[in-house]
Amino acid sequence: MSSDSPLDLLKLNLDEKVYVKLRGARELTGTLQAFDSHCNIVLSDAVETIYELVENELKSTKREAEMIFVRGDTVTLVTTPSDQ
Amino acid sequence: MSTGNGTVTTASSEFLSNIIGKPVVVKLHSGMLYQGTLESIDGFMNVALNQATEHYESEKNGLLYRYDGDVFVRGTQVLYISEA
Repeated sequence: MSSDSPLDLLKLNLDEKVYVKLRGARELTGTLQAFDSHCNIVLSDAVETIYELVENELKSTKREAEMIFVRGDTVTLVTTPSDQ
Repeated sequence: MSTGNGTVTTASSEFLSNIIGKPVVVKLHSGMLYQGTLESIDGFMNVALNQATEHYESEKNGLLYRYDGDVFVRGTQVLYISEA
């Protein structure tokens, strides 16, 4: 096993902007304040992008929150945002 | 290496540590397929990938996204990992 576990590598993203993919095609971006081994995540200045089909066209709306606690069981992926 | 269950656990964890640094494919329960260089992995199947690409189910279905930074994938969502 590598000495740096994947969760250790996540530490490098603390205080940085992250993109979090959740179950059910949901996604969040924000500044990573904290996380634990369950992948419970606290984000500040979080933006939730909500996709929906309106008359067969994909629309996205955004919802903002100053601080948000994400329950780990819905998290699928965490990375640095580029142009997401 | 020894007997019984010991052999099984050794072989599987040996596989996981042997593929570090190699190109791998990771499929999630959702059907998302990630290909990239395996940065690290732990016993929960949490995975860190570098230069990951995202496809749905198969490469044939067209590239959905290319992640430039490291990607953290949560172990509970992982269906399988194999060497690419």
